[in-house]
Amino acid sequence: MIRTALKTVFAHKLRLALTALSVMTGVAFIAGTFIFTDTIDRTFSDLFADAFAGQDVVVQSETEFDIGFAGPPPFDEAVLDTVRGVDGVAAAEGSVAGFAVIYDNEGEAIVPQGPPTLGGSWMEDEQLMGNIRIREGRRPTAPDEVSIDASTADNNELAVGDVIKVQTPSDVAEYELVSIVGFGESDNLAGATFAGFDLRTAQRLFGLDGQFSSIVVRGDEGVSPDGLATRIGLALPDGMEAVTASSEAEAQSESLSESLGFLRTALLVFAAVAVFVAAFIIQNTFRIIVRQRQQELALMRAVGATGSQVVWMVVIEALVVGVVASIVGILFGLVIATGLTAVMGALGFDLPSTTAPLALRTILIGIAVGVGVTVAAAVLPAVRASHIPPVAAMRDMDVSLRMSDRARLVIGLAGLGIGVALIIAGLFGDVIDLGPLNELTAVGIGALLVFLAVSILSSSIVKPAAVFLGRRWVLLVITVITALVLIGGGLGLIGFGVVTGGVAIVGVLIPALMVLAIGALAAYLAWSVVRDRFTPGLATENSMRKPRRTATTASALMIGLALVTFFFVLGDSIKASAGAAIEEGLRADYVLSVNGFGGGFSPALAASLAQQPEIAAVTSMRFGIWDRNGSEEFLMAVDTGTIDETVFLDIRQGSLADLGAGGVFVNADVADEQGLTVGDTIPMGFATSGLQQVPIVGLYREANVVQSNYVVGLDFYAENFEGFGTDTDFVVAVKAAEGVAPETSRTVVEAAAADYSNVTVRDQAEYRQSQQDQVNTVLVLFNALLILAVIIAIVGIANTLALSIFERTREIGLLRAVGTSRGQIVRTVSWESLMVAIIGTVLGIVVGMFFGVAVTAALRSQGIDVLSIPGGQIAALVVFGAIAGLFAAILPARRAARLNILEAIAYE
Amino acid sequence: MTAMTTALAARMSGGVKIYGEGDTAVRALDGIDAELGGGRFTAIMGPSGSGKSTLLHCLAGLDTLTEGQVYIGDTELGSLRDKQLTLLRRRSVGFVFQSFNLIPTLSAEENVLLPLLIAGDAPDRAWFDQIVSILGLGDRLRHRPSELSGGQQQRVAAARALVTRPTIVFADEPSGNLDSQSAGELLGFMRRAVKEFGQTIAMVTHDPVAASYSDRIIFLADGRIVDEMHEPTSDSVIDRMRRFGT
Repeated sequence: MIRTALKTVFAHKLRLALTALSVMTGVAFIAGTFIFTDTIDRTFSDLFADAFAGQDVVVQSETEFDIGFAGPPPFDEAVLDTVRGVDGVAAAEGSVAGFAVIYDNEGEAIVPQGPPTLGGSWMEDEQLMGNIRIREGRRPTAPDEVSIDASTADNNELAVGDVIKVQTPSDVAEYELVSIVGFGESDNLAGATFAGFDLRTAQRLFGLDGQFSSIVVRGDEGVSPDGLATRIGLALPDGMEAVTASSEAEAQSESLSESLGFLRTALLVFAAVAVFVAAFIIQNTFRIIVRQRQQELALMRAVGATGSQVVWMVVIEALVVGVVASIVGILFGLVIATGLTAVMGALGFDLPSTTAPLALRTILIGIAVGVGVTVAAAVLPAVRASHIPPVAAMRDMDVSLRMSDRARLVIGLAGLGIGVALIIAGLFGDVIDLGPLNELTAVGIGALLVFLAVSILSSSIVKPAAVFLGRRWVLLVITVITALVLIGGGLGLIGFGVVTGGVAIVGVLIPALMVLAIGALAAYLAWSVVRDRFTPGLATENSMRKPRRTATTASALMIGLALVTFFFVLGDSIKASAGAAIEEGLRADYVLSVNGFGGGFSPALAASLAQQPEIAAVTSMRFGIWDRNGSEEFLMAVDTGTIDETVFLDIRQGSLADLGAGGVFVNADVADEQGLTVGDTIPMGFATSGLQQVPIVGLYREANVVQSNYVVGLDFYAENFEGFGTDTDFVVAVKAAEGVAPETSRTVVEAAAADYSNVTVRDQAEYRQSQQDQVNTVLVLFNALLILAVIIAIVGIANTLALSIFERTREIGLLRAVGTSRGQIVRTVSWESLMVAIIGTVLGIVVGMFFGVAVTAALRSQGIDVLSIPGGQIAALVVFGAIAGLFAAILPARRAARLNILEAIAYE
Repeated sequence: MTAMTTALAARMSGGVKIYGEGDTAVRALDGIDAELGGGRFTAIMGPSGSGKSTLLHCLAGLDTLTEGQVYIGDTELGSLRDKQLTLLRRRSVGFVFQSFNLIPTLSAEENVLLPLLIAGDAPDRAWFDQIVSILGLGDRLRHRPSELSGGQQQRVAAARALVTRPTIVFADEPSGNLDSQSAGELLGFMRRAVKEFGQTIAMVTHDPVAASYSDRIIFLADGRIVDEMHEPTSDSVIDRMRRFGT
């Protein structure tokens, strides 16, 4: 008896641990996100607090719209004399900033993914350089000298004395590396590369002759920076301002943090998905626990416990699980944050390895979410427990308080209806007034409702689905395909390990063996199902006996896979649309751009291409951010003289000549949505020129090559955009002259671009492919983040199976007694797991398809006008679902097969 | 008509079963030599803790002896691995437990055919029909166990035990949870199976009335066989129990 009791306790522990695991994973993700983004924030604020060391006041152009990366526009250098004349100024110097790409010794451009490639100028008074310190060498003084950051130097084995190339807006030229600098303790500026020139050289290279980007001032001893800033401000001409260095540091660090705010939001959304999935698992677990402890709870009622006392018993158990899981989750969040930092490092962000700060806010939110979700999920089962009548103590009766099938149907359909309506209203927001609801929030709540409703409704399809899946040929097909994929994949992994040799073989061996093990299970199942009709039938019956349990377990998997399907459909539609549109819209033979997120490149390249006789037309395109009533919008500036030869803009109204003269072209669909037409004006806020009322001079439809809803001319751009980031081309489209063979034109373009190794030359097909590759990269990233939610669901399936087996102990004992083999028990459990997983997968695919189709439809005006369903990827998802099911089955099946027959039969 | 089979259906020699170790060791079976004749209905009786259930479990291959041998037919169980034991239980042994005899998700018919379904063997339809009609289960075959009375459930279990024509059927207090009428019907059927079909049955019981249905009773106390009785009646059993104070 004692042994059995101990085993029961252990089973409870395991059960609670598995439940806690799902909460823990979600909380860890949330805490990790906060810790990680806090680390970034602190890194930036440290960096900038330090960056203005030795400076008291910064003088720059006043700007109404502080947007994008451009910063305030440059100003006349004569202002420096004015500043120097102000009382209390000890030293003041001007500097310029611009675009500069450093090349390594092989002549390859060094382009970090994400962070910018900065160029700057040196000052004579090195104390005014903030925290920039020369680690080795001396400051550049001649036109052919440069200094670079320590990180770039170390990573590319560049040393003082080397002659290296640097690309600037003017050209690609060679410079002698005269010094290597650090930024305080840091080797670089948040991942950016830095090339410093002497002032005159920098002004020339950045096209800023006679101009400064800013002036930094050090005051006399004992002069307060605030007072000094005020006095300088009074002396400055209109349009200029003087701010204290400390407030400028704060502003810059804030704006950098803000620009990374989307990262926090995105990560938190994925964390929320994981928590939502965890809630399903917890609710299911507690429902099963209550069911299993029914007699115990009924006994308590029989001896006088009130219903609310029973509720409290269950809720307190949930509370304990929630608290423990949250605390462990928060600690595990530190690990996740470190992992995220490592990923950022791999992407080129050099974040100092400071200990990630664990803010009180992180702890509170983590515990609130973990405990809140656990308790909320346990409340329904707890209330159900309180309705167990005392008489149930005497008999083993199923008294779970459940909604009638009809009520479930009504509630489910109502939820589904409201959810779908919210999604549609949110996506096509201008149709219905949502009142205070933000459109994105509406879509989010709608999706949540759809998931809940489908989970409620799906208990009605469990029966037919299980009967269908229980057919032997269905199981045979599923297991044969799964076995082939897994065994092929496992052997492939080992082959890969052998080919690459050494360390790789150790790295792939364990995953490969795991893959092979599940593959072997699939093969064993496939082999058995040919002869054995008993276990599939039994598994079908088992999965049908508690349809809601099966439905909830399947639904947990559904959520993650629905989002994966959604991204698949949306991504494939984007790829198909972009492919078709590029085919139609791109007249150019070649497109030149920087790979990935590397930003722009020197306009000198376009200039040199335009001089080649084999080239008919070169169109420079530049990218700009502007402010529209407080929100950021993008525009693309194009060369109106040549754009017609390189890009088919599909102009619906207006002419390129009008655009060249000023004004803006608006995407016809966007204009339609906003009720705008030619002749109207749009208020556009620019960092350089402030608020402008810009007339709409035309409408166009092309959306994939120009990638923006607003198009302007280059002259308009030059008037309204100045400063860092606007001095480079974003895309250059090249059309070869009539009669020039493709090989010839390609050679010419490649030769011109030879010095610009950060630029990739692509013909039409390659360009199309590169656009699709970018979509694929994002898809991989999103799906990687969704893996967590899927893993939680797989743990949930295993947990539910284990609990069900626990419930069926005597049944399994009986089966074994009358001659069922261990293999048959393993198979029965595996089949059931497979059925649950496939039901969840198919539900996920259906829901995800709906999301995908709806969102794709809503993005029509963004140029996504082709709906494409990636059949192959979705079929692969079904196989993945099967693998998940088999994986979840392993431990419960093992446990079931090893039950001691006598103990099982005697089990109460 | 009496079908007599003379060969032994099951046999235990020198059977010792010890639970636990050292000071706490319990000798549940303490040197049992027993032979269960083919075509005979043997009852095993004894007070609580006498080892009667352990004897049954060891004979049936559900538990293993610490010392000694058990034979079912000519097969010695100690040398069998789990897989062979499973096959033996499937083909050569039938079980009727006191309660929880049926798989709740399967119909009565499927429960009866369970050993054959497990093996993937085709049932002997005539034999199945015969058992079912004798047991009066004909109109209940499509029902789930939860829709059957306790007596019906035990009769389904009995039908399952017989459906493979096993070498021996082990019954552990089969009528323990039944009212006297249902118990009488079940035990009457078991005796009929022995007399008419030559089935061998071994039954553990503490009920003298149930034991009176058997051909022979083995009395156990403290893990040893202490007595034996042939062709018992309920009165003679009660009388015997009174004499031994059990």
